Amino acid sequence: MPTPVKMPRLGESVAEGTVGSWLKQEGDWVEKDESLAEIITDKINAELPSPVAGRLAKILVQPDQTVAVGVDIALIEENADVAASQSVEAAPGPDAAPVESPARANVAVMDKQSASDGNGSKAAVQPSRVGEEERQRISPLARRLAREHGIDLNDIAGTGTGGRVRKEDILAYIEQQQAAPAVPSYAAAAQAPATQPVYTPAAPSAPKAEPAPTVIGPDEELVTPSRMRLAIAEHMVRSKRTSPHATTVVEVDMTNIAKWLEKNKEDFKRREGYSISYVPFVMKAVCEGIRKVPTINSSWTEDNKIIIKKRINLGMAVATDAGLVVPTLYDTDQYTIAGLAKQIAAIAQRARSNKLTVQDMQNSTFVVNNPGTFGTIISVPIINQPHAGILSMDAVVKRPVVIEDDAIAVRYMMYLCLSFDHRILDGAGAGGFLQAVRTKLQSYGREIDVY
Amino acid sequence: MTAVTYLEAIGQAIREEMRRDEAVFLLGEDVGTYGGAFKVSAGLMEEFGSERVIDTPMAEAAIIGSAVGAAIMGMRPIAEMQFIDFITCGFDQIVNMASKFYWRSGIPAPMVIRGPSGGGVKGGPFHSASPEAWFFHVPGIKVVVPSTTYDAKGLLKAAIRDNNPVLYLEHKLLYRLPELREELPEEDYTVPLGKAITRRAGEDMTILTYGAMVHQCLKAAQTLEQEDDLDVEVVDLRSLMPLDREAILESVKRTNKVLIVHEDTLTGGIGAELAAMLAEDLFEYLDGPITRVAAPDAPFPYAPPLEEAYLPNAEKILAAARKLAAY
Repeated sequence: MPTPVKMPRLGESVAEGTVGSWLKQEGDWVEKDESLAEIITDKINAELPSPVAGRLAKILVQPDQTVAVGVDIALIEENADVAASQSVEAAPGPDAAPVESPARANVAVMDKQSASDGNGSKAAVQPSRVGEEERQRISPLARRLAREHGIDLNDIAGTGTGGRVRKEDILAYIEQQQAAPAVPSYAAAAQAPATQPVYTPAAPSAPKAEPAPTVIGPDEELVTPSRMRLAIAEHMVRSKRTSPHATTVVEVDMTNIAKWLEKNKEDFKRREGYSISYVPFVMKAVCEGIRKVPTINSSWTEDNKIIIKKRINLGMAVATDAGLVVPTLYDTDQYTIAGLAKQIAAIAQRARSNKLTVQDMQNSTFVVNNPGTFGTIISVPIINQPHAGILSMDAVVKRPVVIEDDAIAVRYMMYLCLSFDHRILDGAGAGGFLQAVRTKLQSYGREIDVY
Repeated sequence: MTAVTYLEAIGQAIREEMRRDEAVFLLGEDVGTYGGAFKVSAGLMEEFGSERVIDTPMAEAAIIGSAVGAAIMGMRPIAEMQFIDFITCGFDQIVNMASKFYWRSGIPAPMVIRGPSGGGVKGGPFHSASPEAWFFHVPGIKVVVPSTTYDAKGLLKAAIRDNNPVLYLEHKLLYRLPELREELPEEDYTVPLGKAITRRAGEDMTILTYGAMVHQCLKAAQTLEQEDDLDVEVVDLRSLMPLDREAILESVKRTNKVLIVHEDTLTGGIGAELAAMLAEDLFEYLDGPITRVAAPDAPFPYAPPLEEAYLPNAEKILAAARKLAAY
């Protein structure tokens, strides 16, 4: 009985996912947890690990197709005998790759399971198969060419050994693109968002007319957005349609934290091996604020209820080369400031090196965004659905401010901008939350215990 | 004018250089009265006398050491190794004296060490060596390997005129190969050190090679064209030190795939350095793995079937090239 592989839920705001590409072909052998397909939802491209070891018997959902979460997208046959003989046929040959010892350990077990036919060459073939199987096969040259021409590698079928994308494939694709008139290429791009139904609970479902092809002038350039860009666009539009956004701003005196960081930042990094910044302080304060105003950590449901979440899992916006991602820092309130700094460093590292897991992209309850690193002083963020709000911390800058006794002093000031879902919260709740965050941040003295 | 062999071209170069410059002289085992074990120096003693064509004892350290001494005193010695395998007896004189003298004292040591190298002649473990990698590693020595009759003469002349110690590795399999017979220019010419030459132009893959392997590569390239419709470029390095970086990078940048072929053993060979250089400089121009075809890491075998299995040849090159092309 084949095991079905289901479309995973990659973030609670997402009801469906798109198969970006299959990393295995029908008939291929897959190990348990080996990457099976690339799934694109919302804001990330995640790899889908195989739930079991076996032969990929059938692909049910083709690349670029979008299906609801939980729908079967492939079938895996767990019968070892079938799998082994299949993969021997498919293997490129005994001399294809050096035999690696880690792979050999797996093979010994597999061979025992299917040793009945006594095929001696299997041990030599199988490791090369396992060792060669990587996420996406592409030559360094092809990768560079694709980057230079802004080509999405998912659009290209490789013709090299094992489906590797190589020079010929890229050049053929470019030639084909150049030969084709502008209209068809636009049509292909227009189909992408069309396959991802825009989620509009309140909006009337008026039939949408097919948009007319874009015509550009001689001094304009037409760019086809990447899948991630399209996903971000879709999410932003959906969020703005779903939640009535209201934004409110408080000003926080960060002087003591700033001075502490100035003094201790280097030592901390040397001692701990990771950096500390304003972010863990703000996250800690946000947890404090959520405790005071729990509705900040909630969701408005489609049947008009409010779910208050007991766990505080802060999402953290990270800009990567591929685009914006918001991985989750689970149980944010359970960490010390130093502990948060460590978690932040680890997640940011995973995000930038494209190593985020499905787990990393799920279950966030509120987002802290830090555009301040780009020097912005006020932001109006858009809520990451289905949250009740999102907080932007802007740049900490020295400003002359009026302090106690009407004196004027130079202080380190920061604006905290909260966008909130006005269905759930009113100005009072939002203001109360911000007040609590500010009080916490301003409560630190000259000496701060971050542990 | 008659076509000459690779071996005769070497003899011509020595003779012409000795006529041109009185500082040039030849020393080695049996180079004089006997005319050399392979007859490279036949007739030279008659023309130049026993003071410029010196028969030495069977002692390579002494041959090379004497050459270093003569070179720093202003002579231009050509030290012959009867078989290049025995150059190891003079290793210290090369790597500690010849290579360092100019750096240490400012006095150049213009000398050539030459001798028959390579296998394919059933010479067994002591008469088949390809020692280029040992010396390629030593700063201060140039290493050249001619693959054609024209280059054999031109490179040797350039080596003799160069002010640095030059290791000139002639390939004994090519000595009397009929297909390498060539009519050489009557006028004086040299082949510059440090310049590679494209033996066959192509767009689909570059083969980097030198010495006798050039001919195996050309044979393989021809088959690839006929049977696989592949247009393979064959670059003959000629000089291993200095390497013609410019030519190598230009070719690989254009073809995006590279196969390196040498007769010497694989590990730590010239191919390893070429691979590192290409990976460093052209990573994003590579459309496939840098691939090497070389002798296995084992001593040179004596038995003919083993020798055949051991040496790279057109078939092995063909198989590697096909795999790389399909990558």
